[in-house]
Amino acid sequence: MKHTITIAVHMALLAICLPTVASADDQDVIDYREHIMKTLEEQSAAMGMILSTAVPGDNTVSHLQAIALTAQVALKSFEPKVLGGEAKPEVWNNWADFSKRMNEFSKNTALVAAQAKEKGSDDPALADKVVDALSCKSCHDAYRKEKK
Amino acid sequence: MTRSGQFAVGCAIFVALTVSTPARADDQDVIDYRVHIMKTMEEQAAAIGQILQQKAPADNFTIHAQVLAITAATAKRAFESKVLGGEAKADVWTHWADFSKRLDDLTAATADLASTAKAGGVAAAAAKAQTALNCKSCHDIYVERKK
Repeated sequence: MKHTITIAVHMALLAICLPTVASADDQDVIDYREHIMKTLEEQSAAMGMILSTAVPGDNTVSHLQAIALTAQVALKSFEPKVLGGEAKPEVWNNWADFSKRMNEFSKNTALVAAQAKEKGSDDPALADKVVDALSCKSCHDAYRKEKK
Repeated sequence: MTRSGQFAVGCAIFVALTVSTPARADDQDVIDYRVHIMKTMEEQAAAIGQILQQKAPADNFTIHAQVLAITAATAKRAFESKVLGGEAKADVWTHWADFSKRLDDLTAATADLASTAKAGGVAAAAAKAQTALNCKSCHDIYVERKK
């Protein structure tokens, strides 16, 4: 009896500690956050093309607004602790740091979108502010496991 | 100018005006840029689809609708340069009047969706989402999916 209880306790502990394998519903969670992160990636790439003068800058304000709005919902999409996709477990292991970075990202992109709308896309200071706000790599290095 | 010279110039002008241009380095930028815009819409439409199927939190519906509307408004400009390539069929430019009208309609419909969602949330906007996100009707004509 005592042996059975010990095994049951160990099994329960294992269930708590082990990363969860994605179920059907979990896949929805992963898919949803990927839609959000891919939107950020596509819009940042479009902004990068404008900053490198590869394409005209007429849509600058729109891209920045799209990024700022999407950044607002990004953190929420990571709240369910579901491992998988390109997210490293560190997202949830270091949640305080991850969520702090996401909140800063959201704040900075909102700020730069508002400035672009106010001063127009010709503002000479805009490019540096955009580069600062879209410093994706520092988070990706810590929290993203890019699929090959 | 001799008859053969006139013929050569005529051919050159005809070819320049009518033959599709293969993508150059700069042209690839044009293609890449519009692909970023179309993929954004694809991702946002998919997120909205998940919410409508109750597979994602409804709280974010309005924001997705806003991002979709903002992005739709940038799409036509991205296709104005006649550069063949990517998944766009040549029909985009040969039927520009129809294509651009459809993009204008998409812009208007997504803007309406966003403002309805802002005022009344997902419950009020769900029915409009089906109409606004009728992507297939355009894609069947103007998109050539890569395998």
